[in-house]
Amino acid sequence: MVDLVRTREGRLARRVAERGPVREFLAFVLAGELYGVELTRIREILSPPPITIVPRASSDVIGVCSVRGLLVTVLDLRRRLDLEEAPASRRSRILLTEVESGEVLGLYVDEVRQVMRLTENEIEPANAVLGGDVSEHVLGIGRPAGVVLILLDLKSIVAG
Amino acid sequence: MVEPTDKAREEFFSEAQEIIETLSRNLLALDGSLKEGALDPSLVNEAFRAVHTLKGLAGLFGALKMGQLAHRLEDVLDDLRLGRMELSADTLDVLFRAVEVFGQILAVERRQVEDPLTSVDELIDQLSALGAGAAHRPSPAVDYELDPAMLAVLTEYEEHRLRTNIEQGLRLYRLRVQFDLATIDKALEEMKERAKRHGEIITYLPTGEATSPDAIELDLLMASRDDLATLIGSLGADNVVIEEIPRRTRASIAAGAPSLFPRGTSIVPPAPEEAASLAAEAEAERAAPAEAAGSLRSVTQTVRVDIRKLDLLMNIVGELAIVRGQLGRVTDRVRSEGQRQLAAELQRLNRSFERRLSEMQDGILEVRMVPLGQVFDRLARVVRQISRELTKEIRLVITGAETEIDKLIVEELSDPLMHMIRNAIDHGIEPSEQRKRVGKPLAGTIALNAFQKGNHVMIEIEDDGKGIDEQGLLQKAIQIGKVEAGVARELTRDEILALIFVPGLSTKGEAGDISGRGVGMDIVKTNIGKLGGVIDVHSEQGIGTKMTITLPITLAIVSALIVHVGEHTFALPLASVSEAITFDGTGVRVVDGREVMTLRGSTLPLCRLDRLLGLRDAMRSPRQRRFVVVASLGNRRLGVVVDHLVGQQDIVIKPLGKSLSSVRGFAGATELGDQRVGLVLDAGALIEEVLAGVELRREGVRAHG
Repeated sequence: MVDLVRTREGRLARRVAERGPVREFLAFVLAGELYGVELTRIREILSPPPITIVPRASSDVIGVCSVRGLLVTVLDLRRRLDLEEAPASRRSRILLTEVESGEVLGLYVDEVRQVMRLTENEIEPANAVLGGDVSEHVLGIGRPAGVVLILLDLKSIVAG
Repeated sequence: MVEPTDKAREEFFSEAQEIIETLSRNLLALDGSLKEGALDPSLVNEAFRAVHTLKGLAGLFGALKMGQLAHRLEDVLDDLRLGRMELSADTLDVLFRAVEVFGQILAVERRQVEDPLTSVDELIDQLSALGAGAAHRPSPAVDYELDPAMLAVLTEYEEHRLRTNIEQGLRLYRLRVQFDLATIDKALEEMKERAKRHGEIITYLPTGEATSPDAIELDLLMASRDDLATLIGSLGADNVVIEEIPRRTRASIAAGAPSLFPRGTSIVPPAPEEAASLAAEAEAERAAPAEAAGSLRSVTQTVRVDIRKLDLLMNIVGELAIVRGQLGRVTDRVRSEGQRQLAAELQRLNRSFERRLSEMQDGILEVRMVPLGQVFDRLARVVRQISRELTKEIRLVITGAETEIDKLIVEELSDPLMHMIRNAIDHGIEPSEQRKRVGKPLAGTIALNAFQKGNHVMIEIEDDGKGIDEQGLLQKAIQIGKVEAGVARELTRDEILALIFVPGLSTKGEAGDISGRGVGMDIVKTNIGKLGGVIDVHSEQGIGTKMTITLPITLAIVSALIVHVGEHTFALPLASVSEAITFDGTGVRVVDGREVMTLRGSTLPLCRLDRLLGLRDAMRSPRQRRFVVVASLGNRRLGVVVDHLVGQQDIVIKPLGKSLSSVRGFAGATELGDQRVGLVLDAGALIEEVLAGVELRREGVRAHG
């Protein structure tokens, strides 16, 4: 175990030395595309509990639910990103993230995949690749080993 | 600030806050006694002690600015209590300013930001200027046949009291009292207490001549207006000998010392070289109250608790209530499976659980309750300050300060109330010449009344000023486009008065320095609304204005009626529900675009929740029996149409997150058991939305949507 950790750390350290610092992203699926948010911003991944619809709330708010006594507002990430809608599935998950005001928000996603480590030169800034017209919510494009990962700016997303 | 633990810091803040509030109360009382012309010395003393304790506390926590200010303030209060300085209204202004500045310091310390706090230095300079005027005066005590042994041990304060009493023409008495050693503390206190009716015991000294080894003899020096016979009648006993201390005649001074009270040097006013020893005594005197406080603390069995901890406990109670509900369902299942005996046993346990739980809930609620006096004291200070700024004489009459309400509500109340009081003084109470002309007493009266009414606390703010100029208000509303001229004619008086809560409307022609530009009342209303309360306004021109705030007693846990509308479940706090009746859709009439029905002879406006909230139409047959829940708040009523009444449940209301702050009509959400969350309807907001808005009525009720 200790050796494993050591070698892992050793590998990481070598990578950092070779290619700059590593950032970790949680990869998930929305409307068939792979998205990523910075792992440190995610507090917990949940199977969706019953969600209560809040009338009069904006359309990208699904509703509220209780997570061990904590009241959480759940956002529909598809709607917020103007993606086509799809019914919830067995694989749907809610990502909990704490925003600056201290409120805990839930982000409804189709499916959670894995944690991906990216170095700075594996990330292309959004405006450089996609031009100026890109959604303000997109931070950049990650290209770890042949996959395309749309990196989202959680700060901008939860700011509404 | 050095780095004490968070907990210690919190302790520091709450303790400092308490002391500052005590100081504020003392100053207010001083202000009152100054106006009556009879200064109560014990008030100056208490203020002095409060500041002294604050200084110690500040030192302990490295709150430098606070320490410096407290030190200066202590000096001034010391001069006041020792009679080196006269208390005037201007001096009091500076002292009140200190209360304010202490508040600022606390706020800055709490946020842990860098702030030069220039106001502190300014105030310290002001205080120093005050202190410079203080002076020693010769003691008139030389004129009395006083025991030098007693005079020698007088502290500066006692000396001052002696002097004041003599100057006020009181007589001096010596009470020689035998006390039982075992009970002396209590007996001496009783003696002092009884003596209070006649005057004041300035000091006491053991004579060293007791008749038994278990007794102690004290000489008490007392000043009184009453004559010897009265005192003997009231205080005399077997163990008490009372003598009047005679004034020295010129003859006796010339003849030299009498044998009983030999003349000594110490009756001469303190010489400069004695100042040091006097100062030391004063220090000892200052230390004494701290000791007293220390011993007091050991007997008062109170703890200070962070309200968040109580919230946590309340949450647990709420969750237990859910468990109880689940137990009930299990019991039902056991019964339906035929195990009657087991079910009965479970039922019994469940009931006992329920009882204990509700006791626990009441207990926690009780702990959260604080008297409204806490916020009223602060308001009294504001009244004094504003009335001096505007040179309007104001009499503040407070009733019901002991009325209790949730601590959190009290905290949120102080700003809105302060604003309303400012308005009352600035816009309500007329200048004195005008009051004179219309034959009102020169001093305006503001009454602050609080009382409990069922599950609500009512707070009234009433002034005897000129009342609200309804026509002026209406004209202004039309002018700035808040009301259409055509609509204006149809408005009732109450609807016109309610315009003061519309943003941008101010009743005074020009904006006052004090209450600003009419941006206040709408915010006041919003803030009261956030607490689940409503404001009603009544006004008679020339007579005065009365604002009535209706508030729930607590926000922590409430009984609620659970209702269904379509597939949605809502909770409606029972405090705002007066009754529920069946509703078959007949008897509904439309008046001025609003649905109303007749309930026992009076008109009840209706609100169809599904339409108001824009819910998906539920499948229901037109003949289906539904219900009208009558919500009432203040003097307004609204019939809320729902599909089913599910039952009553105690709920813990949790506020909706910031991201939903624009959504109107809900007080929050609550867990209903089996992991489900239900939204809690805000009866006040619904009533408001359906009944109030002059504009809303025109624009349609979906304006908020």
